[in-house]
Amino acid sequence: MLELRELQGAFAAHLKGEDRPDLTEAVVGDTISAAARLRIHRHHVGQSLVGALASTFPTVQAIVGEAFFRALAEGFILRELPAQPVLAEYGAGLPAYVSEYGPAAALPYLADMAQLDWALNLAFHAPLEDRLTASGLAGLPAERLFDLKPALAAGSTLLRSPYPIDRIWHASQPGATVGTVSLEEGPASVLILRRPDDAAFASLDTVEEIFLAALVEGSSLGEAAEAAVSVEPAVDPSRILGRLLALEAFAALQHSS
Amino acid sequence: MQPVAGIGLRSPHLAEIARDRPATGFLEIHAENYLGNSPAHRIVERLREDYEFSVHAVGLSLGSVDGLDEAHLDRVVALIHRLEPTLVSDHLSWSLADGRYFNDLLPLPYTEEALQVVERNVHHLQERLGRRVLVENPSCYLAFAHSTLSEPEFLAELTRRTGCGLLLDANNIVVTAHNLRLDARAWLQGLPPAAIGQYHLAGHAVNDADGEPVLIDDHGSRVGEGVWSLFGEIVRRYGPRPTLVEWDTDLPALDVLLDEARQAGRALGVEAEANARAA
Amino acid sequence: MNPTRVAIASALAAALVLPAATSQAQGNMEKCYGIAKAGKNDCQTAKSSCAGTSKKDAQADAWVSVPKGACEKIVGGKLTAG
Repeated sequence: MLELRELQGAFAAHLKGEDRPDLTEAVVGDTISAAARLRIHRHHVGQSLVGALASTFPTVQAIVGEAFFRALAEGFILRELPAQPVLAEYGAGLPAYVSEYGPAAALPYLADMAQLDWALNLAFHAPLEDRLTASGLAGLPAERLFDLKPALAAGSTLLRSPYPIDRIWHASQPGATVGTVSLEEGPASVLILRRPDDAAFASLDTVEEIFLAALVEGSSLGEAAEAAVSVEPAVDPSRILGRLLALEAFAALQHSS
Repeated sequence: MQPVAGIGLRSPHLAEIARDRPATGFLEIHAENYLGNSPAHRIVERLREDYEFSVHAVGLSLGSVDGLDEAHLDRVVALIHRLEPTLVSDHLSWSLADGRYFNDLLPLPYTEEALQVVERNVHHLQERLGRRVLVENPSCYLAFAHSTLSEPEFLAELTRRTGCGLLLDANNIVVTAHNLRLDARAWLQGLPPAAIGQYHLAGHAVNDADGEPVLIDDHGSRVGEGVWSLFGEIVRRYGPRPTLVEWDTDLPALDVLLDEARQAGRALGVEAEANARAA
Repeated sequence: MNPTRVAIASALAAALVLPAATSQAQGNMEKCYGIAKAGKNDCQTAKSSCAGTSKKDAQADAWVSVPKGACEKIVGGKLTAG
């Protein structure tokens, strides 16, 4: 007789695909064998987790189709089961898994699409913070504005890819009218954001990306603007900051600052 | 809560329910879908002003030999303190082992050893919540040879030791009885009436294993005749309780779900007006 | 403040008095999820849980499976033969 700890360990091993005769012996079989009864649980775990991953990575599934996605997800699940019960938080490791997944080697952009899906999922479940607005900064002396280091709002991610991930995302949507996307159109940078009723992303141009990347790395607004100007002298920093404020990319300033 | 019939609140119906506020006895959510900060949260918090709520956890893993996952428990406790639902429940099952979550309501052997594990976990949960919880009978696809108690005996003893309540799922009784060759009506005998706090109803599918029919608790169709019939027996024996219609797979239009809940209300002997508190 | 700093700072300050570009900027955003995707945890058993054979080899399955989806629209680049 298996003690409960052993039984749960054996059951866990069975669910991961191992043969556990000790567990099979502990289960009552009749005209439906113990093994067939145990398989119901193994299949449910696999299928329900594949379903959860498909829901979190809809773009990846749309790109490769259901059958391929299922095989990919099953491989990932064997390597990395959820560590906690909230399925919306399962799958952080999938983009890395995709990047080294042999059968997807012909789709070099697929891992970045998984990153985009994951970032959208994170944004969707992030708290909705108050945002920094132009009026919130009005009256700030120019010197203070230069030195300001606004933080991205919770759920925001800057994602850079050598591939045109924004256009690939469009082409992968249900009912997409986009004909084809050439990988030579890349690279692309997108900013993923929590919106009041949704998650969303905006495509950034090169100077917007340089500006925002500098901020993410800890630069001030002035330093970020200098970085953008050094790459493209004609750029107007007010346009970049104006767009990022309109996108509501930053968290509101703490009152103490 | 009055013994009314309610529906499981599923996200594809959220916008419609928030807009139309249909009449139904109460709404039930799965705790694990509301532990983050998604936009669905805000909608539920607003709906809470107009509806009674039941919070049904699916991931506490009351049967885990290692005890409850404290980090997860903290989040569930916070949700329940914020939402203040009328009912709180989870299952007689386990899902976590060695820090891995299997997303299945896995079966326990019904032994004194397992009873002590579940007893400890339910005690701890009720202490953390400061309230009674309901424990639901699971759908079983297998039984362990070394079980010494029947499932209803195990549940009855659990309520005696912990003061917890029972959530009787009529569909799960039908599924378990069929799959384990038990008599569903015999299963009902000897439960402590005062402990029974809620009923669940759902549809199941028929599949086959080793060429024999097996009932699968897929929550993907209308409540079946056999389940309605057993539910009638339950209500006659134990009286009306708040009753939930669950639907998870192939979710139908909201009207279909509301219609199932109205039928459950009639089976409870509840007048339509009493069930329509949220209009 | 050196002249470059002054120029940058005043350019940044100009952003605060730009005509509200909010609607235009948000029009450039792709809404992605929608409320209907909020729930992933449920308590049903997958209908087809009895289907299939006893042993599965996900890796072997993977290699015989061919991507078949929107990838057909993604062209060019240095594709290695699949």
